Amino acid sequence: MSELKEQLKAQIIEQLNLEDINITDIADDDALFGEKFGLDSIDALEFIVLLEQNYGLKISDPSEGKDIFYSVNSLADFIEKNKN
Amino acid sequence: MKIKAICKIDSNEIIVNEQVVYYNNSSSTDWKKIAYQQLNFDYPKFHKMDNLSKLAVLGVKYIEQAVDFSSFKDDEINMIFANKNSSYCSDIKHYTNYTKNNLVSPADFVYTLPNILIGEIAIMQKWYGENNFFIHDNFDMNFFLNQINLYFCENSKYCIFGWIESNEEEEKAIILFLEQDNKSNFDFNRLNNYL
Repeated sequence: MSELKEQLKAQIIEQLNLEDINITDIADDDALFGEKFGLDSIDALEFIVLLEQNYGLKISDPSEGKDIFYSVNSLADFIEKNKN
Repeated sequence: MKIKAICKIDSNEIIVNEQVVYYNNSSSTDWKKIAYQQLNFDYPKFHKMDNLSKLAVLGVKYIEQAVDFSSFKDDEINMIFANKNSSYCSDIKHYTNYTKNNLVSPADFVYTLPNILIGEIAIMQKWYGENNFFIHDNFDMNFFLNQINLYFCENSKYCIFGWIESNEEEEKAIILFLEQDNKSNFDFNRLNNYL
């Protein structure tokens, strides 16, 4: 699981073009859409693309997105529970 | 109409009011990032923008070093931008992503309209004035002056006008900060020094 979280952090930095942010700057329980990273609604869409492209996972219920994308922990949990 | 500030940007240098304010003396191709860092302006969104938006943002922020925008009301500054090739680079990037790589990036797609750069500036500066983006075959300042005067006829006082181009051959921008002034004619000579 920790390897998946580190991988996710690297993918988030690359996919969202988070300049000057390193993997060590993202704590597992950091609120991804809090003030720390300045993410917006376009970034939320990028998360959906990231899940589908890298893990083959789609979110069937959009209302679940807020919880799934809350933190690296919640993202990793979702991936672990739904991967084939 | 008075030119209060004029900025020219290309891959070699940035000039504001006849002074070189940034010179690209590095071998890096990411010169816009270096020009941004020189501003000491913390705006992480900059790195997510397309080239058109980055050029426009750099122009506005470098002009801001010569003009105190804080003295203006948020709806006093209108914006008109224009170019010939629209959002060509972003269009090609998006097209390549979904036709060759079978990828879709919302962050790329959102820039497949050139007027998005106006939105980026408005959000960054919190400007709520009128705005417009024109696709034009050439840099026809007389045409654009007519458009700017339409805003001034509506009692607006200031306008930022920019010609922003980013394609495979070149990246360049000419940005002017203009003030309504019935006693002054537009200084074509000064503009021509930048063309």
